[in-house]
Amino acid sequence: MSAVLQRHNVKVVGRGEQPMLFAHGYGCDQNMWRFIAPAFEERYKVVLFDHVGHGQSDAAAFDRTRYDSLGAYAEDVLAICRELDLNDVILVGHSVSAMIGVLAAIRQPERFDRLVLIGPSPRYIDDGDYVGGFKQEDIEGLLDFLDSNHLGWSSTMAPVIMGNPNRPQLGEELANSFCRTDPEVAKHFARVTFLSDNRADLPKLATKALILQCSQDVIAPEAVGRYMHQSLPDSEFVLLKATGHCPNLSAPEETIAAMEAFLSDPAPAKAVAW
Amino acid sequence: MSMEPGALIETAEELYESAPCGYLSTLPDGTIIRVNQTFLTWIGADRRDLVGQKCFQELLSIGGKIFYDTHFAPLLRMQGFVNEIAFDLICADGRQLPVLANTVQKLDAAGRPMVHRITLFNATDRRRYERELLLARQKAEQATEELRRLNETLEERVAQEVAERLKAEDALRQAQKMEAVGQLTGGIAHDFNNLLTIIVGNIELIQRRLPEGHERLQRATDHAMEATRRAATLTQRLLAFSRRQPLDPKPIDANKLVAGMSELLRRTLGETVVLEAVLAGGLWRTQADPNQLENAIVNLAVNARDAMPSGGKLTIETANARLDEAYVEALAEPVPPGQYVQVSVSDTGTGMDKATMERVFEPFFTTKEAGKGTGLGLSQVYGFVRQSNGHVRIYSELGEGTTIKIYLPRLIGSDEEPVERAARALATVRGSGETILVVEDEPSLRAYAVEALRDLGYRVLEAADGKGALAILEQHPEIELLFTDVVLTGGMNGRALAEEVARRKPGVPVLYTTGYTANAIVHHGRLDPGMHLIGKPFTYAELAAKVRQMLDGST
Repeated sequence: MSAVLQRHNVKVVGRGEQPMLFAHGYGCDQNMWRFIAPAFEERYKVVLFDHVGHGQSDAAAFDRTRYDSLGAYAEDVLAICRELDLNDVILVGHSVSAMIGVLAAIRQPERFDRLVLIGPSPRYIDDGDYVGGFKQEDIEGLLDFLDSNHLGWSSTMAPVIMGNPNRPQLGEELANSFCRTDPEVAKHFARVTFLSDNRADLPKLATKALILQCSQDVIAPEAVGRYMHQSLPDSEFVLLKATGHCPNLSAPEETIAAMEAFLSDPAPAKAVAW
Repeated sequence: MSMEPGALIETAEELYESAPCGYLSTLPDGTIIRVNQTFLTWIGADRRDLVGQKCFQELLSIGGKIFYDTHFAPLLRMQGFVNEIAFDLICADGRQLPVLANTVQKLDAAGRPMVHRITLFNATDRRRYERELLLARQKAEQATEELRRLNETLEERVAQEVAERLKAEDALRQAQKMEAVGQLTGGIAHDFNNLLTIIVGNIELIQRRLPEGHERLQRATDHAMEATRRAATLTQRLLAFSRRQPLDPKPIDANKLVAGMSELLRRTLGETVVLEAVLAGGLWRTQADPNQLENAIVNLAVNARDAMPSGGKLTIETANARLDEAYVEALAEPVPPGQYVQVSVSDTGTGMDKATMERVFEPFFTTKEAGKGTGLGLSQVYGFVRQSNGHVRIYSELGEGTTIKIYLPRLIGSDEEPVERAARALATVRGSGETILVVEDEPSLRAYAVEALRDLGYRVLEAADGKGALAILEQHPEIELLFTDVVLTGGMNGRALAEEVARRKPGVPVLYTTGYTANAIVHHGRLDPGMHLIGKPFTYAELAAKVRQMLDGST
């Protein structure tokens, strides 16, 4: 397996031709697609991966300086596309990976067919008339809290406190067999994510996009989803009945149905075959 | 009276409500459907305000809300349970209550999530403990870091210390070597001077007594005399190096001294070397033996010339200089910090490498081909400067050139005028029968001096030691000059003799002669003021001039 595929723990499944690339968001790994991805394996070439520092990626490849902006994560997505020679890609990005997908598609529009953006946000912090859902001090509080290690797996505190971060399995065994995240990477990723502002990039996206907006999403409120819809040149907006931030887990059927509807809609740029 | 047996047993309801942990049941979206009293008490909320009204995640701090959506809910959905999640509950009064959450997801018959059962433990103490542990760990890390840094600098400091020690030992070895070589050469030079004095005397005797017409013999004795003079120059340099040459320090204006040497230097350097003198204004005066300083400058000029075989530029500079504590501390030899007059000689020649620089002051060390150099030029410079309480520094770059700087102590508060280096034509001046007492323990030397003085027209009495001299003095009150070696055998040295003579017969001038002497007449290698000395080997003419000068009372 190539270095890139190994680094990102890339899994390719499915019997279709057109690639559907799933990008997980902050806090989890490719496991979060477990209720969604199988629905598309029949018709698509499903590609799953973990961002560096997440899941079973190569945590050693994490570099604080390199991953100082979402652009580096977008580059990783493009590297996977190149490595697998993926074209005509349908990218499904959740949460922060929705924005990562937007950035990747702006950089190499020719690779992408459509984007499915689940709970996207170009900016989490309010800014004048723009409603991001968080105040500056909220995010600072979150980051402080992350820095002090009190958030999250208390059981993973043990290796952190005992100065043994090389034994993350301790925490995993007790609490978490999914979504393994290196605590340091998680903190850094949170910082990069919640301090990002990619509003100016939105108009540059040439690829058709679907915005899946949950009800009562604390992280990406409805106003943010609507802002996305207004700012993207070619997008559809679907407000799900599902609440929270992870409809792919809490409401997979509804999510799949919305995706199916979007994908069956013929792309305007493509010749209609029937 | 009897109680209902059941009254003694808590009901499940009572256990639920008053359990030492908070119980919550929520819908999969977090909506609270049941909550126990313990939880309500913790956060100070009313049951009616929560059940059906609020989601569990709404009661969390902002970080907790985000974590709930990004981590907690996905995991719970995927693995059916989540244990030991740290949250902060926001209480009604704004306080934050740290809790640990264990949660189980209940599924319906179709396998769909139906309800979350959340158990919360008050984690106030644990959180405090964790914070303390974290703090302790941070402190430990800091301490480790400090220790590491300390260790690093310690190694650095030890390395530096060792390097300095090695350097000091090196310098000491070098100084000891120079001292040992100095002792040796000094001793040899002293003996040689005595021998040369005899040779010079006898050649002169032969020359004076040689009848007219013996041109070949005349030339032969001239050659012998020339060779002897060169030998005398060499021994002089050896003495200079060993710092045992008698110095005659006088206040010097180095600018005038250098200016007065320009003709001599131009002749020495030849036509291919351009001579430039850069003389500082307001130059301090120094005190040194002007003859030796001239010799030193000539020696440096000759070396510079030889380093510039195809021509170049020689620069002699003067300057006021301060050697500070730091500078002198780094030197191998003791040099007091303070003000110095600097005379430097720079060439644009071949320069020298470090190894050469380290040995260049050693006597007989030469880079010149055999027969071209004595290896004593720089030794003279070194010895003279050190004996004058000064300091020499070499700066050299291979292919660039060399600068040698002489530092001589500044002379402060002397009324003496700097000596004018007038041409010292040594006219042979004769005596007119004045009586001179010669005291010398070496018979052949004594014979030479006696012979020379008689030849010059003096009446000469002689003694081999101090006791004999005093006896003669008693019998011959007409003695007008005492000419004595500094070192005498028989228990009384020249200086003691002179003092005794001065006591018995005040006003009789004393002329000393010596090959070298470290003590006695010479304080730290210097003449006491008012004392006169003629160094061995002296020539007939030098002796004639010096004796005449003393008898005439002019110094």
